[in-house]
Amino acid sequence: MTVANGPQMGVTLYSFTNEWLTRQFELDTLLREVAKRNLGPNIEIIGFQSFKEFPDISDDFASYFKDLIAETGLNPVSCAINSDRFLKPGQQPIDDASLVEYHKRQLRSAKKLGFKLARSQFALPAHLLPELAPFCEDIGMQMGVEVHAPMWARHPAVLEYREMYEKLNSPMLGWIPDFGGTARAIPPSLLDAARAIGTPEALIEITKEIWAEDGPSYVKAGKLREIAAAKGYEQAHLQACTLSFFILSNNDPKSWAELVDRTIHIHGKFYGVSDEGVEEAIPYEEILPLFRDGGFTGTIVSEWEGHAYCTTDAFEQVRRHQAMCRRILAEAPVAA
Amino acid sequence: MLPVERIIGEEGLSATPRGARLAMRLPWYRSLPFSTVEVAGVTLDGAPVDLADAIVEFDDTSFPLSDIGEQTNAFWFVRDSAFLVLPGVNLAANSEHEVSLLLHVNPPYIPGMKRVNPQTATLRVN
Repeated sequence: MTVANGPQMGVTLYSFTNEWLTRQFELDTLLREVAKRNLGPNIEIIGFQSFKEFPDISDDFASYFKDLIAETGLNPVSCAINSDRFLKPGQQPIDDASLVEYHKRQLRSAKKLGFKLARSQFALPAHLLPELAPFCEDIGMQMGVEVHAPMWARHPAVLEYREMYEKLNSPMLGWIPDFGGTARAIPPSLLDAARAIGTPEALIEITKEIWAEDGPSYVKAGKLREIAAAKGYEQAHLQACTLSFFILSNNDPKSWAELVDRTIHIHGKFYGVSDEGVEEAIPYEEILPLFRDGGFTGTIVSEWEGHAYCTTDAFEQVRRHQAMCRRILAEAPVAA
Repeated sequence: MLPVERIIGEEGLSATPRGARLAMRLPWYRSLPFSTVEVAGVTLDGAPVDLADAIVEFDDTSFPLSDIGEQTNAFWFVRDSAFLVLPGVNLAANSEHEVSLLLHVNPPYIPGMKRVNPQTATLRVN
Protein backbone atom coordinates (compact mmCIF):
# COMPACT_ATOMS: atom_id res chain seq x y z
CA MET A 1 0.00 0.00 0.00
CA THR A 2 1.04 3.59 -0.49
CA VAL A 3 2.34 5.12 2.71
CA ALA A 4 1.07 8.58 3.50
CA ASN A 5 4.50 10.15 3.12
CA GLY A 6 5.54 8.24 0.00
CA PRO A 7 5.87 9.80 -3.45
CA GLN A 8 3.05 12.21 -4.34
CA MET A 9 1.57 12.67 -7.79
CA GLY A 10 1.05 15.84 -9.79
CA VAL A 11 1.34 17.25 -13.29
CA THR A 12 3.46 19.73 -15.18
CA LEU A 13 1.56 22.13 -17.41
CA TYR A 14 4.23 21.29 -20.03
CA SER A 15 2.06 18.23 -20.76
CA PHE A 16 -0.53 20.63 -22.19
CA THR A 17 1.86 22.44 -24.53
CA ASN A 18 -0.36 21.84 -27.58
CA GLU A 19 -3.45 23.17 -25.83
CA TRP A 20 -1.45 26.15 -24.57
CA LEU A 21 0.20 27.11 -27.86
CA THR A 22 -3.10 26.91 -29.71
CA ARG A 23 -4.66 29.26 -27.13
CA GLN A 24 -7.36 26.77 -26.13
CA PHE A 25 -6.73 27.78 -22.52
CA GLU A 26 -5.56 30.81 -20.60
CA LEU A 27 -3.51 30.27 -17.46
CA ASP A 28 -6.60 30.52 -15.23
CA THR A 29 -8.76 28.22 -17.34
CA LEU A 30 -5.96 25.68 -17.67
CA LEU A 31 -5.39 25.55 -13.90
CA ARG A 32 -9.14 25.19 -13.35
CA GLU A 33 -9.26 22.35 -15.88
CA VAL A 34 -6.38 20.54 -14.14
CA ALA A 35 -8.13 20.92 -10.78
CA LYS A 36 -11.53 19.89 -12.17
CA ARG A 37 -10.04 16.70 -13.62
CA ASN A 38 -8.21 15.94 -10.35
CA LEU A 39 -4.81 15.88 -12.06
CA GLY A 40 -3.17 17.81 -9.20
CA PRO A 41 -3.05 18.96 -6.61
CA ASN A 42 0.70 19.20 -7.12
CA ILE A 43 1.79 21.15 -10.17
CA GLU A 44 4.92 22.21 -11.98
CA ILE A 45 4.97 25.23 -14.26
CA ILE A 46 7.73 26.32 -16.64
CA GLY A 47 8.23 30.00 -15.82
CA PHE A 48 9.10 30.87 -19.38
CA GLN A 49 6.11 28.98 -20.77
CA SER A 50 3.20 30.13 -18.65
CA PHE A 51 4.18 33.50 -17.11
CA LYS A 52 4.45 36.41 -19.51
CA GLU A 53 6.35 38.53 -16.99
CA PHE A 54 9.05 35.91 -16.43
CA PRO A 55 11.90 36.17 -15.43
CA ASP A 56 10.66 39.11 -13.31
CA ILE A 57 7.28 38.75 -11.60
CA SER A 58 5.38 41.81 -10.37
CA ASP A 59 3.58 42.00 -7.05
CA ASP A 60 0.27 42.29 -8.87
CA PHE A 61 0.79 39.12 -10.89
CA ALA A 62 2.05 37.19 -7.87
CA SER A 63 -1.07 38.20 -6.00
CA TYR A 64 -3.29 37.18 -8.93
CA PHE A 65 -1.54 33.81 -9.19
CA LYS A 66 -1.80 33.10 -5.47
CA ASP A 67 -5.53 33.86 -5.59
CA LEU A 68 -5.85 31.42 -8.48
CA ILE A 69 -3.98 28.77 -6.53
CA ALA A 70 -6.20 29.31 -3.49
CA GLU A 71 -9.33 29.09 -5.64
CA THR A 72 -8.29 25.88 -7.41
CA GLY A 73 -6.74 24.17 -4.39
CA LEU A 74 -3.64 23.34 -6.42
CA ASN A 75 -0.19 23.13 -4.83
CA PRO A 76 2.60 24.97 -6.71
CA VAL A 77 5.49 22.61 -6.07
CA SER A 78 7.98 23.25 -8.84
CA CYS A 79 8.81 26.15 -11.11
CA ALA A 80 11.04 25.18 -14.02
CA ILE A 81 13.67 27.85 -14.61
CA ASN A 82 16.10 27.93 -17.52
CA SER A 83 19.89 28.07 -17.55
CA ASP A 84 20.09 30.27 -20.64
CA ARG A 85 23.84 30.59 -21.01
CA PHE A 86 24.00 30.96 -24.79
CA LEU A 87 22.06 34.15 -25.43
CA LYS A 88 23.93 35.04 -28.61
CA PRO A 89 24.02 32.17 -31.10
CA GLY A 90 27.48 31.35 -32.36
CA GLN A 91 29.15 33.59 -29.79
CA GLN A 92 30.68 33.02 -26.37
CA PRO A 93 28.34 32.13 -23.51
CA ILE A 94 27.39 34.93 -21.12
CA ASP A 95 29.82 35.49 -18.25
CA ASP A 96 29.47 33.63 -14.96
CA ALA A 97 28.26 36.63 -12.96
CA SER A 98 25.48 37.30 -15.47
CA LEU A 99 24.44 33.66 -15.47
CA VAL A 100 24.29 33.56 -11.67
CA GLU A 101 22.18 36.75 -11.63
CA TYR A 102 19.90 35.29 -14.33
CA HIS A 103 19.25 32.31 -12.04
CA LYS A 104 18.66 34.55 -9.02
CA ARG A 105 16.07 36.59 -10.94
CA GLN A 106 14.14 33.44 -11.74
CA LEU A 107 14.52 31.94 -8.27
CA ARG A 108 13.21 35.16 -6.67
CA SER A 109 10.21 35.10 -9.01
CA ALA A 110 9.51 31.42 -8.34
CA LYS A 111 9.63 32.10 -4.60
CA LYS A 112 7.36 35.11 -4.96
CA LEU A 113 4.79 32.94 -6.76
CA GLY A 114 4.82 30.46 -3.89
CA PHE A 115 6.72 27.57 -5.48
CA LYS A 116 8.72 25.33 -3.16
CA LEU A 117 11.51 24.37 -5.54
CA ALA A 118 13.00 25.23 -8.90
CA ARG A 119 14.19 23.07 -11.76
CA SER A 120 17.54 24.14 -13.32
CA GLN A 121 19.59 22.75 -16.19
CA PHE A 122 23.11 21.48 -16.81
CA ALA A 123 23.89 24.58 -18.90
CA LEU A 124 24.60 26.00 -15.42
CA PRO A 125 28.21 24.87 -14.82
CA ALA A 126 28.83 23.01 -11.56
CA HIS A 127 31.48 25.53 -10.50
CA LEU A 128 28.74 28.16 -10.04
CA LEU A 129 26.78 26.08 -7.53
CA PRO A 130 28.78 27.43 -4.54
CA GLU A 131 27.43 30.90 -5.41
CA LEU A 132 23.83 29.78 -5.72
CA ALA A 133 23.61 27.41 -2.73
CA PRO A 134 23.74 30.20 -0.10
CA PHE A 135 21.23 32.25 -2.11
CA CYS A 136 18.83 29.30 -2.16
CA GLU A 137 19.34 28.88 1.59
CA ASP A 138 18.68 32.60 2.18
CA ILE A 139 15.40 32.65 0.29
CA GLY A 140 14.35 29.13 1.34
CA MET A 141 14.09 27.63 -2.11
CA GLN A 142 15.45 24.28 -3.28
CA MET A 143 17.02 24.03 -6.73
CA GLY A 144 17.38 20.74 -8.59
CA VAL A 145 19.15 20.11 -11.86
CA GLU A 146 17.12 18.10 -14.34
CA VAL A 147 18.85 14.87 -15.33
CA HIS A 148 17.40 14.71 -18.83
CA ALA A 149 18.43 12.55 -21.79
CA PRO A 150 21.18 12.13 -22.86
CA MET A 151 22.21 12.59 -19.22
CA TRP A 152 21.90 9.75 -16.74
CA ALA A 153 23.38 8.83 -13.38
CA ARG A 154 26.85 8.05 -14.75
CA HIS A 155 27.10 10.77 -17.39
CA PRO A 156 30.29 12.87 -16.89
CA ALA A 157 28.26 16.06 -16.29
CA VAL A 158 26.22 14.30 -13.62
CA LEU A 159 29.36 12.97 -11.95
CA GLU A 160 30.84 16.49 -11.89
CA TYR A 161 27.67 17.84 -10.27
CA ARG A 162 27.63 14.93 -7.87
CA GLU A 163 31.12 15.74 -6.67
CA MET A 164 30.10 19.38 -6.09
CA TYR A 165 26.89 18.35 -4.33
CA GLU A 166 28.88 16.15 -1.96
CA LYS A 167 31.34 18.95 -1.28
CA LEU A 168 28.65 21.56 -0.59
CA ASN A 169 26.28 19.09 1.09
CA SER A 170 23.45 21.64 0.92
CA PRO A 171 19.89 20.40 1.46
CA MET A 172 18.82 23.09 -1.00
CA LEU A 173 20.47 21.38 -3.99
CA GLY A 174 19.54 18.09 -5.60
CA TRP A 175 18.46 16.06 -8.60
CA ILE A 176 15.33 16.09 -10.70
CA PRO A 177 15.38 12.82 -12.66
CA ASP A 178 13.64 12.78 -16.03
CA PHE A 179 13.00 9.18 -17.01
CA GLY A 180 13.54 9.80 -20.73
CA GLY A 181 17.24 9.01 -20.19
CA THR A 182 16.42 5.37 -19.43
CA ALA A 183 13.92 4.34 -22.09
CA ARG A 184 13.63 0.77 -23.32
CA ALA A 185 12.73 1.77 -26.89
CA ILE A 186 11.72 4.63 -29.13
CA PRO A 187 8.01 5.28 -28.45
CA PRO A 188 5.95 3.48 -31.11
CA SER A 189 3.74 6.60 -31.22
CA LEU A 190 6.78 8.66 -32.30
CA LEU A 191 7.52 6.20 -35.10
CA ASP A 192 3.85 6.21 -36.12
CA ALA A 193 4.01 10.01 -36.36
CA ALA A 194 7.06 9.65 -38.63
CA ARG A 195 5.16 7.13 -40.78
CA ALA A 196 2.20 9.49 -40.97
CA ILE A 197 4.33 12.07 -42.81
CA GLY A 198 5.57 9.42 -45.24
CA THR A 199 8.86 8.34 -43.67
CA PRO A 200 9.99 5.13 -45.40
CA GLU A 201 9.95 1.98 -43.26
CA ALA A 202 13.60 1.34 -44.12
CA LEU A 203 14.64 4.63 -42.49
CA ILE A 204 12.56 3.81 -39.42
CA GLU A 205 14.26 0.42 -39.13
CA ILE A 206 17.73 2.00 -39.38
CA THR A 207 16.72 4.54 -36.71
CA LYS A 208 15.60 1.80 -34.33
CA GLU A 209 18.83 -0.14 -34.83
CA ILE A 210 21.12 2.83 -34.25
CA TRP A 211 19.09 4.12 -31.28
CA ALA A 212 19.50 0.78 -29.52
CA GLU A 213 23.30 0.84 -29.86
CA ASP A 214 25.63 1.94 -27.06
CA GLY A 215 27.19 5.38 -27.19
CA PRO A 216 26.41 9.09 -26.89
CA SER A 217 23.17 10.30 -28.50
CA TYR A 218 24.84 12.96 -30.63
CA VAL A 219 27.17 10.36 -32.14
CA LYS A 220 24.26 8.07 -32.95
CA ALA A 221 22.25 10.96 -34.41
CA GLY A 222 25.26 11.88 -36.56
CA LYS A 223 25.51 8.31 -37.79
CA LEU A 224 21.86 8.34 -38.79
CA ARG A 225 22.31 11.66 -40.62
CA GLU A 226 25.25 10.26 -42.61
CA ILE A 227 23.35 7.18 -43.65
CA ALA A 228 20.27 9.22 -44.54
CA ALA A 229 22.36 11.62 -46.64
CA ALA A 230 24.07 8.74 -48.45
CA LYS A 231 20.74 7.11 -49.23
CA GLY A 232 19.00 10.37 -50.15
CA TYR A 233 16.24 10.37 -47.54
CA GLU A 234 14.16 13.56 -47.22
CA GLN A 235 15.11 16.07 -44.55
CA ALA A 236 11.62 16.10 -43.01
CA HIS A 237 11.68 12.31 -42.62
CA LEU A 238 15.16 12.39 -41.13
CA GLN A 239 14.12 15.13 -38.69
CA ALA A 240 11.12 13.07 -37.55
CA CYS A 241 13.48 10.18 -36.77
CA THR A 242 16.37 12.11 -35.18
CA LEU A 243 13.97 13.60 -32.61
CA SER A 244 14.21 10.27 -30.79
CA PHE A 245 17.93 10.80 -30.13
CA PHE A 246 17.38 14.14 -28.39
CA ILE A 247 14.46 13.35 -26.12
CA LEU A 248 15.29 9.75 -25.17
CA SER A 249 18.25 7.49 -24.54
CA ASN A 250 18.67 3.87 -23.56
CA ASN A 251 20.68 3.95 -20.34
CA ASP A 252 20.17 1.45 -17.50
CA PRO A 253 16.89 2.16 -15.61
CA LYS A 254 18.37 0.71 -12.40
CA SER A 255 21.04 3.42 -12.43
CA TRP A 256 18.53 5.90 -10.94
CA ALA A 257 19.14 4.15 -7.62
CA GLU A 258 22.42 6.06 -7.40
CA LEU A 259 20.58 9.41 -7.34
CA VAL A 260 17.66 8.64 -5.03
CA ASP A 261 19.19 10.12 -1.88
CA ARG A 262 19.48 13.65 -3.32
CA THR A 263 16.37 13.54 -5.51
CA ILE A 264 14.06 16.44 -4.63
CA HIS A 265 11.46 16.11 -7.39
CA ILE A 266 10.76 13.89 -10.40
CA HIS A 267 9.69 14.45 -13.98
CA GLY A 268 7.55 11.46 -14.85
CA LYS A 269 8.33 11.68 -18.54
CA PHE A 270 6.11 9.53 -20.74
CA TYR A 271 4.82 9.22 -24.28
CA GLY A 272 1.75 6.99 -24.27
CA VAL A 273 0.02 4.86 -21.64
CA SER A 274 -1.95 1.96 -23.12
CA ASP A 275 -5.47 0.86 -22.26
CA GLU A 276 -3.80 -1.76 -20.05
CA GLY A 277 -1.97 0.96 -18.11
CA VAL A 278 1.56 0.46 -19.44
CA GLU A 279 3.84 3.24 -20.73
CA GLU A 280 5.04 2.40 -24.21
CA ALA A 281 8.71 3.44 -23.96
CA ILE A 282 9.84 3.91 -20.36
CA PRO A 283 9.94 0.97 -17.90
CA TYR A 284 8.05 2.46 -14.96
CA GLU A 285 7.73 -0.98 -13.36
CA GLU A 286 11.52 -1.03 -12.97
CA ILE A 287 12.08 2.63 -12.13
CA LEU A 288 9.38 3.69 -9.67
CA PRO A 289 10.12 1.02 -7.03
CA LEU A 290 13.67 2.40 -6.77
CA PHE A 291 12.29 5.72 -5.55
CA ARG A 292 9.38 4.22 -3.59
CA ASP A 293 11.63 1.86 -1.68
CA GLY A 294 14.52 4.34 -1.52
CA GLY A 295 12.56 6.76 0.64
CA PHE A 296 11.68 9.46 -1.89
CA THR A 297 8.76 11.49 -0.51
CA GLY A 298 8.58 14.33 -3.03
CA THR A 299 6.38 14.79 -6.06
CA ILE A 300 6.32 12.95 -9.37
CA VAL A 301 4.79 15.23 -11.99
CA SER A 302 3.32 13.57 -15.05
CA GLU A 303 5.15 14.96 -18.05
CA TRP A 304 3.58 13.93 -21.35
CA GLU A 305 5.92 14.78 -24.21
CA GLY A 306 4.03 13.19 -27.07
CA HIS A 307 3.08 16.75 -28.03
CA ALA A 308 6.52 17.00 -29.67
CA TYR A 309 5.15 14.86 -32.50
CA CYS A 310 1.39 14.35 -32.13
CA THR A 311 -1.82 15.98 -30.90
CA THR A 312 -3.33 13.19 -28.79
CA ASP A 313 -5.53 14.30 -25.85
CA ALA A 314 -2.99 15.26 -23.20
CA PHE A 315 -5.52 15.28 -20.34
CA GLU A 316 -6.45 11.65 -20.94
CA GLN A 317 -2.79 10.66 -21.20
CA VAL A 318 -1.99 12.35 -17.88
CA ARG A 319 -4.94 10.61 -16.22
CA ARG A 320 -3.69 7.23 -17.41
CA HIS A 321 -0.12 8.00 -16.36
CA GLN A 322 -1.12 8.96 -12.83
CA ALA A 323 -3.25 5.82 -12.49
CA MET A 324 -0.29 3.73 -13.66
CA CYS A 325 2.11 5.39 -11.22
CA ARG A 326 -0.31 5.01 -8.30
CA ARG A 327 -0.74 1.33 -9.13
CA ILE A 328 3.02 0.73 -9.11
CA LEU A 329 3.61 2.84 -6.00
CA ALA A 330 0.91 0.89 -4.15
CA GLU A 331 2.62 -2.44 -4.78
CA ALA A 332 4.55 -4.08 -1.96
CA PRO A 333 8.19 -3.00 -1.60
CA VAL A 334 10.72 -5.22 -3.31
CA ALA A 335 12.54 -7.29 -0.73
CA ALA A 336 16.20 -6.35 -0.38
CA MET B 1 1.67 20.93 -38.80
CA LEU B 2 2.13 20.68 -35.03
CA PRO B 3 1.33 23.70 -32.86
CA VAL B 4 5.03 24.05 -32.04
CA GLU B 5 5.89 24.27 -35.74
CA ARG B 6 3.56 27.15 -36.53
CA ILE B 7 5.37 30.42 -37.30
CA ILE B 8 2.79 32.48 -39.21
CA GLY B 9 0.60 33.98 -36.51
CA GLU B 10 -3.18 33.89 -36.20
CA GLU B 11 -3.34 37.66 -36.78
CA GLY B 12 -2.03 37.14 -40.31
CA LEU B 13 -1.05 39.93 -42.67
CA SER B 14 -2.21 43.51 -42.42
CA ALA B 15 -1.61 46.81 -44.17
CA THR B 16 -0.47 49.71 -41.98
CA PRO B 17 0.80 53.22 -42.69
CA ARG B 18 4.26 51.88 -41.75
CA GLY B 19 4.12 49.08 -44.32
CA ALA B 20 2.92 45.49 -44.41
CA ARG B 21 2.74 43.80 -40.99
CA LEU B 22 3.08 40.02 -40.59
CA ALA B 23 2.22 38.10 -37.42
CA MET B 24 4.87 35.58 -36.33
CA ARG B 25 4.64 32.82 -33.71
CA LEU B 26 7.62 31.46 -31.83
CA PRO B 27 8.19 27.80 -32.81
CA TRP B 28 9.26 26.55 -29.38
CA TYR B 29 7.53 25.38 -26.22
CA ARG B 30 8.66 28.34 -24.11
CA SER B 31 9.39 32.04 -24.36
CA LEU B 32 12.87 32.94 -25.58
CA PRO B 33 15.01 36.07 -25.70
CA PHE B 34 14.63 37.63 -29.15
CA SER B 35 18.42 37.40 -29.53
CA THR B 36 18.12 33.64 -30.01
CA VAL B 37 15.68 33.94 -32.92
CA GLU B 38 16.62 34.70 -36.53
CA VAL B 39 14.15 35.89 -39.15
CA ALA B 40 15.95 34.19 -42.00
CA GLY B 41 13.69 35.14 -44.87
CA VAL B 42 10.32 36.35 -46.11
CA THR B 43 8.89 35.96 -49.59
CA LEU B 44 5.73 37.61 -50.88
CA ASP B 45 4.09 35.98 -53.89
CA GLY B 46 7.35 34.17 -54.55
CA ALA B 47 9.61 37.23 -54.44
CA PRO B 48 12.13 37.68 -51.60
CA VAL B 49 11.45 40.74 -49.42
CA ASP B 50 14.39 42.96 -48.50
CA LEU B 51 14.54 42.85 -44.68
CA ALA B 52 17.24 45.53 -44.28
CA ASP B 53 14.76 48.09 -42.87
CA ALA B 54 12.31 45.65 -41.27
CA ILE B 55 11.06 46.35 -37.76
CA VAL B 56 10.02 43.87 -35.05
CA GLU B 57 7.06 44.90 -32.90
CA PHE B 58 6.07 43.12 -29.70
CA ASP B 59 3.55 44.60 -27.28
CA ASP B 60 4.52 48.24 -26.81
CA THR B 61 8.11 47.88 -27.93
CA SER B 62 9.79 47.77 -31.31
CA PHE B 63 13.31 47.46 -32.61
CA PRO B 64 15.03 47.13 -35.99
CA LEU B 65 15.26 43.53 -37.14
CA SER B 66 18.96 44.18 -37.70
CA ASP B 67 19.29 44.58 -33.89
CA ILE B 68 17.48 41.36 -32.95
CA GLY B 69 20.75 39.65 -32.05
CA GLU B 70 21.29 42.24 -29.28
CA GLN B 71 17.88 41.71 -27.66
CA THR B 72 19.10 39.43 -24.88
CA ASN B 73 16.75 40.87 -22.27
CA ALA B 74 13.59 41.16 -24.37
CA PHE B 75 11.50 38.00 -24.17
CA TRP B 76 9.11 36.74 -26.83
CA PHE B 77 6.22 35.27 -24.83
CA VAL B 78 5.46 31.95 -26.46
CA ARG B 79 1.69 32.51 -26.48
CA ASP B 80 1.86 35.84 -28.29
CA SER B 81 2.60 36.88 -31.82
CA ALA B 82 5.43 39.26 -32.60
CA PHE B 83 5.01 41.35 -35.73
CA LEU B 84 7.37 41.97 -38.60
CA VAL B 85 6.79 45.37 -40.20
CA LEU B 86 8.04 45.71 -43.76
CA PRO B 87 8.46 49.41 -44.66
CA GLY B 88 7.90 50.10 -48.34
CA VAL B 89 5.72 47.01 -48.82
CA ASN B 90 2.26 48.39 -49.54
CA LEU B 91 -0.57 45.91 -49.87
CA ALA B 92 -4.15 46.56 -50.97
CA ALA B 93 -6.84 45.82 -48.42
CA ASN B 94 -8.43 42.39 -48.94
CA SER B 95 -5.84 41.34 -51.51
CA GLU B 96 -4.53 37.78 -51.21
CA HIS B 97 -0.88 36.87 -51.06
CA GLU B 98 1.26 33.80 -50.71
CA VAL B 99 3.62 34.45 -47.81
CA SER B 100 6.63 32.32 -46.91
CA LEU B 101 8.46 32.85 -43.65
CA LEU B 102 11.62 31.19 -42.39
CA LEU B 103 12.58 31.39 -38.70
CA HIS B 104 15.56 29.87 -36.97
CA VAL B 105 15.51 29.21 -33.24
CA ASN B 106 18.70 28.66 -31.23
CA PRO B 107 17.61 27.43 -27.75
CA PRO B 108 19.94 29.24 -25.33
CA TYR B 109 20.51 26.25 -23.05
CA ILE B 110 21.37 23.78 -25.85
CA PRO B 111 24.67 24.93 -27.39
CA GLY B 112 24.90 24.39 -31.13
CA MET B 113 21.25 23.49 -31.69
CA LYS B 114 19.50 25.39 -34.47
CA ARG B 115 15.91 24.56 -35.35
CA VAL B 116 14.88 25.57 -38.87
CA ASN B 117 11.21 26.42 -39.31
CA PRO B 118 9.64 27.22 -42.69
CA GLN B 119 5.96 27.95 -43.33
CA THR B 120 4.03 29.13 -46.36
CA ALA B 121 0.43 30.33 -46.26
CA THR B 122 -2.00 32.22 -48.42
CA LEU B 123 -3.17 35.24 -46.47
CA ARG B 124 -5.77 37.91 -47.10
CA VAL B 125 -4.71 41.42 -46.07
CA ASN B 126 -6.74 42.63 -43.10
